[in-house]
Amino acid sequence: MELTINGVQHHIDVEPDTPLLWVLRDDLKMTGTKYGCGLAQCGACTVLINGNAARSCVTPVGELGSAAITTIEAIEQDEIGQRVVAAWIRHQVPQCGYCQSGQVMAATSLLKQTPHPTDDDIRAVMVNLCRCGTYNAISAAIHDLAGDVGQEGAKK
Amino acid sequence: MTNRLKKIFAVVIPASTVLAGGTAWFVTRLPASSFENTGSQGEPSAQLMARGEYVSRLTDCVACHSVPGGAAYTGGLKMVTPMGAIFATNITPDRETGIGAYTLADFDRALRSGVAKDGHRLYPAMPYPSYAKLSDDDVKALYAYFMKGVPAVHLENRKSTIPWPLNMRWPLAFWNVVFAPSDVYRPDTSKDAQWNRGAYLVEGAGHCGACHTPRGLAFNEKGTDRHSAAFVSGALIDGWFAPSLRNDANTGLGRWSEDDVFRFLKTGRNDHAVVFGSMTEAFNNSTQFFSDDDLRAVAHYLKSLPGNAQRDGTPWQYEPTQAKALQPAGRQGIPGAQTYMAKCSFCHGADGRGQWEWVPPLAGAASSLVPDSSSSINVTLNGSGRVVAAGVPDSYRMPSYREQLSDRDIADVLTFVRSSWGNRGASVTAAEVKTLRKKTRPADSGVVVLKIN
Amino acid sequence: MRNASFDAMAMSDVPVNLSRRRFMLSSAGIAAGAFVLGLGVPQRSARAEATKLRGTKVPAFLEIRPDSMVRLQSPFVEGGQGTFTAMAQIVGEELDADPATFVVENAPPGDAYVVMDNGMRITGGSMSIRNGYSAMRRLGALAREMLLQAAARQFNVPVEELTTQPGRVVHAASGRSVAYGDLAHEAMSLPVPNPANVKLKEPEEFRWIGAPVPRVDVHDKSTGKVVYTVDVSVEGMLHAAVQHAPRLGMTIQGVRNEDQVRAMKGVHSTHRLPGAFAVVAERWWDAKRAAEAALIDWQEPGPDTTMRVMPADFSTEAFRKELADAHGPGEDAETRGDVVRGLKNAHTVVEATYASQYVNHAQLEPPSALARFNPDGALEVWVPNQAPDMFRADIAKRTGLPVEKIIIHSQMLGGFFGRHFLYETASPYPQAITLAKETGRPVKLIWSREEEFLRDTLRPMAAVRFRGGLDRNGIPVALEAVSATEGPTEGLNNKRGDRLDDSALEGLTGKSYDIPDRRIAQHFVKSPVMLGYWRSVGNSMNDFLYETFLDELADKGHQDPYELRLHLLRDNRRLTTLLKSVADLSGGWKRGPFTAADGSRRARGIGMASPFGSEAAAIAEVSLENGRVRVHEVWEAIDPGKVVNPAIVEAQVNGAIALGLSQVLLEETVYENGMPRARNYDGYPILALNQMPRVHVKIIESGEKMGGVGEPPLPAIPPAVVNAVSTLTGRRIRSMPLSRHDFAS
Ligand code: FES
Ligand code: FES
Repeated sequence: MELTINGVQHHIDVEPDTPLLWVLRDDLKMTGTKYGCGLAQCGACTVLINGNAARSCVTPVGELGSAAITTIEAIEQDEIGQRVVAAWIRHQVPQCGYCQSGQVMAATSLLKQTPHPTDDDIRAVMVNLCRCGTYNAISAAIHDLAGDVGQEGAKK
Repeated sequence: MTNRLKKIFAVVIPASTVLAGGTAWFVTRLPASSFENTGSQGEPSAQLMARGEYVSRLTDCVACHSVPGGAAYTGGLKMVTPMGAIFATNITPDRETGIGAYTLADFDRALRSGVAKDGHRLYPAMPYPSYAKLSDDDVKALYAYFMKGVPAVHLENRKSTIPWPLNMRWPLAFWNVVFAPSDVYRPDTSKDAQWNRGAYLVEGAGHCGACHTPRGLAFNEKGTDRHSAAFVSGALIDGWFAPSLRNDANTGLGRWSEDDVFRFLKTGRNDHAVVFGSMTEAFNNSTQFFSDDDLRAVAHYLKSLPGNAQRDGTPWQYEPTQAKALQPAGRQGIPGAQTYMAKCSFCHGADGRGQWEWVPPLAGAASSLVPDSSSSINVTLNGSGRVVAAGVPDSYRMPSYREQLSDRDIADVLTFVRSSWGNRGASVTAAEVKTLRKKTRPADSGVVVLKIN
Repeated sequence: MRNASFDAMAMSDVPVNLSRRRFMLSSAGIAAGAFVLGLGVPQRSARAEATKLRGTKVPAFLEIRPDSMVRLQSPFVEGGQGTFTAMAQIVGEELDADPATFVVENAPPGDAYVVMDNGMRITGGSMSIRNGYSAMRRLGALAREMLLQAAARQFNVPVEELTTQPGRVVHAASGRSVAYGDLAHEAMSLPVPNPANVKLKEPEEFRWIGAPVPRVDVHDKSTGKVVYTVDVSVEGMLHAAVQHAPRLGMTIQGVRNEDQVRAMKGVHSTHRLPGAFAVVAERWWDAKRAAEAALIDWQEPGPDTTMRVMPADFSTEAFRKELADAHGPGEDAETRGDVVRGLKNAHTVVEATYASQYVNHAQLEPPSALARFNPDGALEVWVPNQAPDMFRADIAKRTGLPVEKIIIHSQMLGGFFGRHFLYETASPYPQAITLAKETGRPVKLIWSREEEFLRDTLRPMAAVRFRGGLDRNGIPVALEAVSATEGPTEGLNNKRGDRLDDSALEGLTGKSYDIPDRRIAQHFVKSPVMLGYWRSVGNSMNDFLYETFLDELADKGHQDPYELRLHLLRDNRRLTTLLKSVADLSGGWKRGPFTAADGSRRARGIGMASPFGSEAAAIAEVSLENGRVRVHEVWEAIDPGKVVNPAIVEAQVNGAIALGLSQVLLEETVYENGMPRARNYDGYPILALNQMPRVHVKIIESGEKMGGVGEPPLPAIPPAVVNAVSTLTGRRIRSMPLSRHDFAS
């Protein structure tokens, strides 16, 4: 089976029902994409499929065909992704960091669809879990990218 | 299937009590068996034993007569009713607590007539009205298997907690006269052998009607074979709506090919659906063990049952109605749309089409089209049990959302699903969700396969 | 997040004050590197260790590369709390090197890295900074001194003539300077100077300590480059997954389909372990599916088992009743005055039982471990941990290997919150070691999320019977709290010690309110659940229990809860300042209910806590939306005495608020039939972004002794929220989580 990941074709030999997550992590040794729940509940495994956020733990590779897959490893090659990472650094978003690959992918997907997201858009789209509670920093970083100061980031 | 029949007799008993009034002779007489006076069978052949084991898969005895973690066929499954609980019995060949003392005729009477060795009437939780159609040869094989192939386990049966007089079982004799067919399957000579085999399996051994046929006032199945338009036309049972198995385009198998039906019963999944709800247990323990020929016969037969276009409506067609509504800005104004995107879309897709045979589509799914929304609600509240095909558990399972979504949230998201992409199932109310929430429990996230020996 | 007793030892320089705390991490085995979590620690050794100067083996900690990048071996494990950055700041301050030039890693086990004043090395109890502070400063100063000496030789000038600029030694007189990178080789081979002679900076001179220095790991964490234990991969490695017994204590009787499991795709081998069935495969996904596919007959443990056994009929609902009904005098943990007399003389006595729930850690990184036996007989283990020496000692005990043969790799933690202490039944490394041994290959074992929810240790449950006495003015004059509970340390040891477990009662004890007659006691009730430390430990529930009852008392006495607290703290300047600060931060205390600008009815509540050497006060503003509680704003003031990095403190406050809210709004581990009902986040929801309120933080540096930061902001949050909800609804709420209460009507 052929998969196009970060612009590179990979040949892999797996059952078509194998989740993309484990092909990335175990076959291709791309461990930036995280396993958190395996049940579409946490979002740690988020990647982009044709630019849209997808949860790789519930994405059978057999469904992918020639779709363009982007993982966190190539996020800085993406123009929006690069801006997201820069904002993440400006706002010092990560704590333990485990959820952040997924958060960065989700934010990139949001900004691709909605360049100027409102608070409501952010609440609607940023549904990945973060046990460290970096939510306000995430909102602030996205508002920053959207070119407004936003409400969520307000502190003190 | 474990619990699918538990509600049935809850209604049967009072209903049949009404019918009481016949003579003592009638209600206590032992029905005839074709094996009357048949002596000891001697040691059964390996072939007969193997056939017996196979028939036990067709009839899915294990579903009710075993509990997870318990020894095979020792019973114990609790069926809760408003009147009390009953427990499935030990059917291992233990002489005291099981059926070790049963002659072939005793066994036959229990299986096909619903009368135990001591003459007491079985609750029709035992699907003897369907088993009545079993052939003599299959009964003999099953007997051989249960006597010699199943290890005897000494385990006392648990007493039912249904109080007197509701626990009187003799009125069931009248129920049987009225509702239970009492004849073995008679082939329809106008049909080919495959069709007849399919009919035998669906109407008889597989007792598909027990779940899929709507029931009458006395909780009797409204039809027991292809002569009735009600037969396997879809029914609500135990918090799940078992869809029509007839050629209804929306609520049944109308859009499925014979091969689709075959694959569904063999692997638990196809392009249209993945087994869920009570069917998971029927699949895990029974249908996948049917021979390919038998499954093809089932498919062939089911595809011959006409649908009812009047009831079913115009056939569903995909409509890309929601693509725009699901954009971040749009969806916040549509009840349920935001929940759909946050909780459902990662697996079922923003387009509702699912992911081939691994994640079922919601667009055009029978559960999204039937008026009754129980299955939609139940699976959303509780998730799905594990589908285990050929010993391998499913890669993807439905999570339980009862802890995350309120009654209102679930009503909204299901109303959204049932009215999107061309779906037109009825909308869902919070009250319906509330009722089912109380009556149901989350599915087990682990693999449950019952032991058969 | 730690053994609550740690910080008793930690907080006192000399001598170690053992009287306040009961159980502790024994330092008896320090010389052998053997930390043991146990009862009854000999005081002598702890005291002796505490007086030694720690963290002076400079080359063990620091490597300065030719490009002047500084590689620091951190004695504390990074798991999101920012300790790596803080270490770089502290060491960099005295070394005179920009924290941005630091590469920080987890140090291996070993005596050299035992830097805490109390002679221990754990990451927990919000102790890293406060207890590593002086040693790490000294370390930086020693290293700088060595660089100066090396430069003196190179320039051939007296060392007194030299100064430093960040990353360089400067000889002002001659205008010469040299980069640290060019001196490092020589400097690090010099003997370490006498620590007594190095001079530390005056706080006024600080350049980085106290500044919101950017964190050292943020870019890597934003781009997926950090390698957590689950990500480690070594040559020839196999992957493993397990299926645990549904209830602790059960063992495998038989596997119905082991041959079939072995024949599944990608499977290398199957293994029967104590209480678990393991599958080793070429890919974790294959191992996981095969492990799930195994149809196992489990048998109950024999009567001689020493394990904590989970009975088939255990349910949290029944246990909650048992705790609530567990009447007993309890054993005193803290007393003042005479509570019996106080209650007798009170004008009004208020009695109520409050309860807390079990909660899971639910850190996002599932537990894992990688084990490899090397040809030279050494065993390497990659394992998430908060105490590498304890883990090494435990592995030595299990394997019979000498500690020198055991190499521990501590990776970055994907969240911990107390999850990665030595929890015998809740850690995959013993299994991974067995599997590596049995397969002869390196094995990485990951617990699926479902297995994690089955075996995680839980924050204890408690039911506290309160009795409060009010005088005729409605002011509390007597308070008694008897907690029916088992502490996490008692749980871990599977028995009671000869004195009480402080981590059971902290937060009921240690309150500063001036209530003359009071008594805090524990009524020990053992449960079969495996207990653990959860961020802010006893305080995570006890401050909720206490502070909500205090509001109930205030209401009964017709007192405003804010004014009442000010009154009860009138002689405590630090806490009065704190309380007033949080009220000011919120724009002045305003209890409500009131109507907000958006038309919603809202109310505010207040909570306070004194955990882990710090002080915190919080105000929360809530409303009801479709019968569910919505928290709109949280204001929190925290006084940790002194602060190393205010940006990190603020991030920690945000994180602790999120976890505190998650607990009070949503979380509860429910057991039925001896098994947890939820096995993944679907059945155990945690706080999501759309439930996060706006957060306003005020950091107060009172100059008091430095306290912790990671845990202290949490305990005040649940009571602030629940007090607000009680005000809003007029209903007294005495248990968490709020999702179990119906506010629809
Ligand atoms: S790992 Fe995929 S959503 Fe959690
Ligand atoms: S940063 Fe730790 S889980 Fe999000």
